Amino acid sequence: MSTETAAPAVPMVNVQIDGVWLQFPKGTRVIEACGQAQKFIPRYCYHPKLSSPGNCRMCMVEMGMPKMTPDRKPVLGADGKPEIAWIPRPQISCAQDVAEGMGIRTGSPMVEEARKGVLEFLLINHPLDCPICDQAGECRLQEFSVEFGQGESRFLDEKVKKPKNVELGPRITLDAERCILCTRCIRFMKEVANDDVLGIVERGSFNSIACHPDRILDNNYSLNTVDICPVGALTSNDFRFKMRVWFLKETKTIDVNCGTGANIIIGSRENTIYRITPRENNDVNGVWLPDSHRLNFKYVADERRLTKPTVKGQPVDWRTATAIAAEILKAHTAEQLWLVASGRQTNEELFLTSRLIDALEIEKQHDILPRTGEADGLLIAADRNPNTTGAKLIGLCTSKPGSRLKKLVEGVRSGAIKTVITLGEDLTKCGLTADDLKKLDAIIALDILPNQTTPHATVLLPASAWVEKRGSMINVKGRLQRLNRAVAAPGEAHDDWEILRDLIAAVSGSNGLAVIEDVFKAMAADHSEFAGLSLSKIGDLGLPVVTEKTPEPEPAAAN
Amino acid sequence: MNVPSELLAKIDEAITHYPVSKRSASLPLLHLWQEHFGHVSDEGIAWIAAKLELSPINVLELVTFYPMFRREPAGKRHIRVCRTLSCSMAGSYELKAAVAKAAGIDLEKWKHEQHGGHGNPVAISADGKFSVEFVECLASCGSAPVAMVDDNFKENIKLENAAVLLKLERSDAMLPKVRPAHPREKRIVFKNIDREGWTNDIECYLHDGGYAELKKALGMPRADIVNEVKASGLRGRGGAGFPCGVKWGFIKQDEKKPVYLICNADESEPGTFKDRYIIHQDPHQLIEGMIISCFAVGAKLGYIYIRGEFPEGAQILEKALAEARARNFLGKNILGSGFDCDIYVHRGAGAYICGEETGLIESLEGKRAYPRIKPPYFPAVLGLYQCPTIVNNVETLCDVKHIIKMGGAEYAKIGKPNNTGTRILCVSGDVEKPGYFEVEVGSVTMGELINDLCGGVKGGRKLKAVIPGGSSAKVLRAGEKFKLKDREIGLEDIPMDFDTLAACGSMAGSGGVIVMDETRDMVSTLNNINEFYAHESCGQCTPCREGALWMKKITDRVLAGGGTEKDPDTLKNVADNIAGKTICAFGEACSWPTQSFVLKFREEFTGKAQKAEPPPMPPEYTSDELIEHATIETIHDRRTNSPLAPAATK
Repeated sequence: MSTETAAPAVPMVNVQIDGVWLQFPKGTRVIEACGQAQKFIPRYCYHPKLSSPGNCRMCMVEMGMPKMTPDRKPVLGADGKPEIAWIPRPQISCAQDVAEGMGIRTGSPMVEEARKGVLEFLLINHPLDCPICDQAGECRLQEFSVEFGQGESRFLDEKVKKPKNVELGPRITLDAERCILCTRCIRFMKEVANDDVLGIVERGSFNSIACHPDRILDNNYSLNTVDICPVGALTSNDFRFKMRVWFLKETKTIDVNCGTGANIIIGSRENTIYRITPRENNDVNGVWLPDSHRLNFKYVADERRLTKPTVKGQPVDWRTATAIAAEILKAHTAEQLWLVASGRQTNEELFLTSRLIDALEIEKQHDILPRTGEADGLLIAADRNPNTTGAKLIGLCTSKPGSRLKKLVEGVRSGAIKTVITLGEDLTKCGLTADDLKKLDAIIALDILPNQTTPHATVLLPASAWVEKRGSMINVKGRLQRLNRAVAAPGEAHDDWEILRDLIAAVSGSNGLAVIEDVFKAMAADHSEFAGLSLSKIGDLGLPVVTEKTPEPEPAAAN
Repeated sequence: MNVPSELLAKIDEAITHYPVSKRSASLPLLHLWQEHFGHVSDEGIAWIAAKLELSPINVLELVTFYPMFRREPAGKRHIRVCRTLSCSMAGSYELKAAVAKAAGIDLEKWKHEQHGGHGNPVAISADGKFSVEFVECLASCGSAPVAMVDDNFKENIKLENAAVLLKLERSDAMLPKVRPAHPREKRIVFKNIDREGWTNDIECYLHDGGYAELKKALGMPRADIVNEVKASGLRGRGGAGFPCGVKWGFIKQDEKKPVYLICNADESEPGTFKDRYIIHQDPHQLIEGMIISCFAVGAKLGYIYIRGEFPEGAQILEKALAEARARNFLGKNILGSGFDCDIYVHRGAGAYICGEETGLIESLEGKRAYPRIKPPYFPAVLGLYQCPTIVNNVETLCDVKHIIKMGGAEYAKIGKPNNTGTRILCVSGDVEKPGYFEVEVGSVTMGELINDLCGGVKGGRKLKAVIPGGSSAKVLRAGEKFKLKDREIGLEDIPMDFDTLAACGSMAGSGGVIVMDETRDMVSTLNNINEFYAHESCGQCTPCREGALWMKKITDRVLAGGGTEKDPDTLKNVADNIAGKTICAFGEACSWPTQSFVLKFREEFTGKAQKAEPPPMPPEYTSDELIEHATIETIHDRRTNSPLAPAATK
């Protein structure tokens, strides 16, 4: 058997870790190599996405290089492997790459002593206010103290007092006494957010994180500093003192505030969302998330949420509402109907919407409402709809989303269009006025909150918010990603795909879809991009399904 | 912000000294600003940041790091009394109290005002005429106690004359002195120091044959100069004793990137006071040595990083550089050789850590002087502006001139093998005649240095201990026996060279010898040293940031009567947990004193222990403080009046 062995792109180097020789690609950081060898190295200042200042001294290991003969050849031991000359003092593993013949010891007495020493130093001036600290439960200082520290404190003297409750910016509060001065936040702001606002003031043991009064920490990425703060020094004003983190149920899902589809974790407890934090996906958002996106979840718990289907403002049961909607639709000719879909719908919802369009035979009388803004050059895409790519792929809009909306407006104003279905969009944002809406025979609206359209809705169907449902979306780069349910929809609100399924059934007869997996299967049969996939196969990190870069949508044609 | 045109002109001129990065002009601009306005306000910080196209936090970071900068006005006349070991042994604590009393300053009132949290507040008299503060080592330990009154320097201050500081109009640094060399000395670098008729202008220097070695060197192949320095065996005089020629050899002869040479004139290791005299009295010797060195390593731009507490030294160097430039010893096509080179003076602002070469480089780049991790940031590879850089001590660079004059091989005959040349030993503390002595390396023993050159221990008292190489060097105890390869010797028999002092468990360091007599309390001596290192820790890396202050707090407590029997072991273990685990050698510098004092004078520590067990922990906050919690000092945002940037309190 001839196997073609292409030369590896990166040369490999031999490294001994805790007595075992392993190979790593050249350029691998020692700390990462140890991690790959299942030898986790504790660290505070090191962050793989930031520069390495080597200041916390937590990641020290014992390190050695091969012994050399006078003519610079490695001395080989009995096992034919290089003999290692160990450096007599511990070395940081975060700022050095592996080298040929390097030896690492991650658990030797020297290393254990060094770690104990560093942890003791970090704790002597620390307030030890874990009971009321928001970071408790996810604090590296707690974790490493348990794993690598010592139980006893020898510190008898007065602690350094530093500022507490310092508002570094509108969303961030600093407790300088908890800070271990790893400088991750400073480096993040400088290197990733390109907004050099944080620094250290004072000197020595009195060092404190600060910003200058003229330029505060109000960047739209400021909350990432809270994520990467290994201790409770930087806390989110929105989250602090709200919930102990160990009570939070973590749901892996994606952000829907723009076409980037940043991967996130929703932290919820008993049907209430407390925070949203980024989830690592190096093909999408790295480990970062804009503040504007992560804080945009409060509306989900708004008390005005639609919780009961209504017909002309009167609460009805679902069966009645669906039946009345179907009757309205069947009472009109195809030319009299128009459907406004949404770039916020999941692929599954869009697919069922396309089935509804087929059933109603309104092949060109539909579109989505485009949303655009300025791309910020980091994570916020110009396309503020999360699933424009899916809408295009499934055929809910043309390559120019929103370009047909002017026909909707013309049709309504000329009286040609009598009934409009809107799936989560406010028709007044599509170019129609309240007077236009009054002229219509009927509006069938599916939504989660009241808007300018809902008072005019003949049939109003309460749907689920993005945190309440499963499904998939395709981001602006063509990556298929998965939404997961973190909390349940309120009241009698239904999952959007179920509403659509029932409406299709009421209009055209049963379609046999029982679970959302069936919807995906049916969609995969129609669209080759989804072939062979299922919601579970998408995985937590998603898959590229559309290789061609989808052009950014044109500005809205309506309005 | 109204910036007067003459200040603006100075600012613009200062910026031209840094053609690679405007940010480097941060410290010079802060100095100019403070000289003009008396302090650096938040508006000043913002103005300077805008001028240098920086974020204001970049400048705020500096103002709070470098103790010479003040964010609030001081008195009209500002007095800085040296607090560090030799001066405190000579009574600087009493001196500060006496000055305050004479100036009508109520020190008690200012006790809780913290200067960067370090307990050295600027205390101002009620009428605003005077202010006083402690500063760390002014590098004149041989004439302790010393003080600075604004930019004027005063040495050998008698306690009863403390009031002279209130109306001091001239500086002792500029006083002509004549002092003949001791017969045991071999004066090469210090040939012109305290020499009769000697002045620091270029005519005097040229008259004495100055710049002849520059002419000679410019005619030599560059590699040959490096080889001569290698052959001389010259070891760096700053503290580490690294061979100078080997350091230079790290720079490739065909280096494509710009190469920089920096003179480390940040003399600040307590007990060391040699560079001060070269700079003040013989600046051209340094400049000549530096130009030769620049030529040898291919550096077209050099900086003299001089500590901020040498304002006159900086002026003298600037004048000397201008003189050298006027005669084409600097500038374009020096003396027709085709070599272009310029040198600028860069002033520090009160941070010992700038003596660490990578901290110095960061500081010269306009940042907090945070030493860099090595690897990868070895200065010879990734130094100033990430280019190859050589950092040499003042004395080392002066030696270069003499190596060119006499040849490397001839120079190597001076001193001992691997310990070649002369060294300037600075002696302070409890000796009859403290001062500086340039001797062949290893030609005098500790006993000869103390008894012959310095006239013996003060008042005929007995010798107790010696710190042989600056305050970071491990202390040596009288009566101790040191095992060498071939023999066993006592403290007084140690020849003052690199290798023997290392073999005795200490180091030659920067040549600062501090002598302690039998009356000295070693806990309080260590406490003084600990306070210095706690104050000077940059705070970048954990062990030193937390440990240096911890050690100081332990010795504080022991002195205050709260010692326990566990303290000596705790002290030693804290020191052990710092040494060898930090980014730079400051970790060793701050822990070696503790390690050696506790080891060698353990009985003085245990003798002060009041209790076998530790006392109960003090409360974290008093109830009053908890009520005042929100008012812990912070910078307030002028627009919203919300607290923003913190100022630490002790």
